[in-house]
Amino acid sequence: MTLNIKILGSGCANCARLEKNAKAAVEQLGVEATFVKTGDFEEYARYNILATPGLVVNDKLVAAGRVPAVSQIVTLLANELAAE
Amino acid sequence: MNLLDVILDLLQSGLGNLASYLAAHVLLCLVPAFFIAGALTALVPKEAVTRYLGRKAPKFISYPASAIGGFVLAVCSCTIMPLFAGIYKKGAGLGPAITFLFVGPAINILALAYTGVAIGMDIAVARVVLSIAFGIGIGLIMALLFRRDDAARDAAGPDAFAASARVPRASWLLLGLLVALLVAGTLQIGLFTNTYAQVTLPVGGTDALQATLALLVPFDAARGEEGVTVQGLLLIVLLIAIGGAAWRGLNHVDEGLNRWTTVTLVLVGATLLVAALRLTPAAGSLTLAFPGKFFAVGLAMAGAWLLARRSFEPEEVQEWLWETWRFVKQIFPLLIVGVFAVGVIRPLIRPEWIQAVAGSNTVLGNIVGVLFGVFMYFPTLVEVPIARLFLDLGMHRGPLLAYLMADPELSLQSILIIASVIGRRKAWVYVGWVALFSTLAGLLYGAWVDGVNAWLIGAGLLAGLALLVLALNWLAARTARAFVAPKVAAPETGSAETNEL
Repeated sequence: MTLNIKILGSGCANCARLEKNAKAAVEQLGVEATFVKTGDFEEYARYNILATPGLVVNDKLVAAGRVPAVSQIVTLLANELAAE
Repeated sequence: MNLLDVILDLLQSGLGNLASYLAAHVLLCLVPAFFIAGALTALVPKEAVTRYLGRKAPKFISYPASAIGGFVLAVCSCTIMPLFAGIYKKGAGLGPAITFLFVGPAINILALAYTGVAIGMDIAVARVVLSIAFGIGIGLIMALLFRRDDAARDAAGPDAFAASARVPRASWLLLGLLVALLVAGTLQIGLFTNTYAQVTLPVGGTDALQATLALLVPFDAARGEEGVTVQGLLLIVLLIAIGGAAWRGLNHVDEGLNRWTTVTLVLVGATLLVAALRLTPAAGSLTLAFPGKFFAVGLAMAGAWLLARRSFEPEEVQEWLWETWRFVKQIFPLLIVGVFAVGVIRPLIRPEWIQAVAGSNTVLGNIVGVLFGVFMYFPTLVEVPIARLFLDLGMHRGPLLAYLMADPELSLQSILIIASVIGRRKAWVYVGWVALFSTLAGLLYGAWVDGVNAWLIGAGLLAGLALLVLALNWLAARTARAFVAPKVAAPETGSAETNEL
């Protein structure tokens, strides 16, 4: 199945780093995923984040205000897949 | 004088300005400030502050928390807008959000330290105190003006501010050591400036080098210019070396510490130690004087190094260094270009122009200072050398403060972003109040510089603010009653809610 990954926050250095880490994690897991990146304040409010970057997997906020390491994202994604 | 000479003159002026801004005292303030900014971002959990900004926080907590929270939260301009939107939409409301927005840029550690060293501690302190006082004032006014909108605002949904966290003790210690490093390097008191030891090295040729440098970059001390010294040259060489080492040592430090990271940090330490020295070139020798700050800076750095190694996980140190380097990469190149440009335009501006408009503490002078801040956009920190230029050319310190208050708060770009979060009408009302209060801040501070009793000014300011708070509370209570009474049958509930305001 395909994972829907959304990166909240555009433009800042940490947002770019989060996107890079998330893509590396997806590659490690060898799963299919779609990526969306948004800088919309309405979206921030919808997921209740106070600080960018935020990582949303299948419409669920899993990390905000920090950049998780690739290994942490792998675990997060694996959990999400197992829950399906 | 032909055109080539003119261009050469301007270039020399730019280089001279750059050299004086890379001089020892500026490095001793900026380098620790970058490390502090990185530590605040990486090692202090945001939730430690945001829990005071939630919807349920009482006013007397949420306003001061938003004012002071900017110190921890707003180091990075890319976090200020999401936080502002969050506080407004899901948290304490329009008032504290506005306070946060207003105070944040003024108490940013980088701007604060830089202003203090390049222009004067008096202006830096005035900027902080007046920003906090006026930030809370503007927040309260906005909350009052738009109280109906605030009451009608969506109050449902999960509370984004519920999470809480404590700042680990090691983080406190590290921040304390870094602040001590900054203070020891920049505070001008006998303990740090007196010389405790002196060594004369038999190095020849430094006096000739100094003479050549003075020839290459001539300077006019009467106009507040500083030339390049042998020490300055050494520091510039060290900075370039840091740049090179950091490219390999810090650019990917989030993936792991490597040998280049150590090299970079050692070079940074060496730079600070050299900056704390006093070098006197003479014929056939070079005298090194060791002032108190040399030892204090060394001790603070050693302490920070040990603490980072013993009390932090490698991942935390990586995060800290990465954030620090990110700030440097983001701000330093623009700062260098800005400082150079300021040096180039310096000879083109006639002091009489500045003195005619803002040479004394007039209402017009302060308004001009504010307007210049609004319509000219300068990257973070570049406003400081610009302000220094105005000061050297004869601007009064009052209008100068007005400019420094308005510039980081208001630019056409930031006004547009604010408008997208809170709506155009609120944004323009906010802009009006900021312009008014910045002018007022300049006038008050200028009056103090001109010798008006500080207690008189302070008392007037406090009385004015107290009056404002009372009036707002009274109006808010009335509005709350009007809102609650028709809906709630029991009057007790109504009064209870009123008290909460």
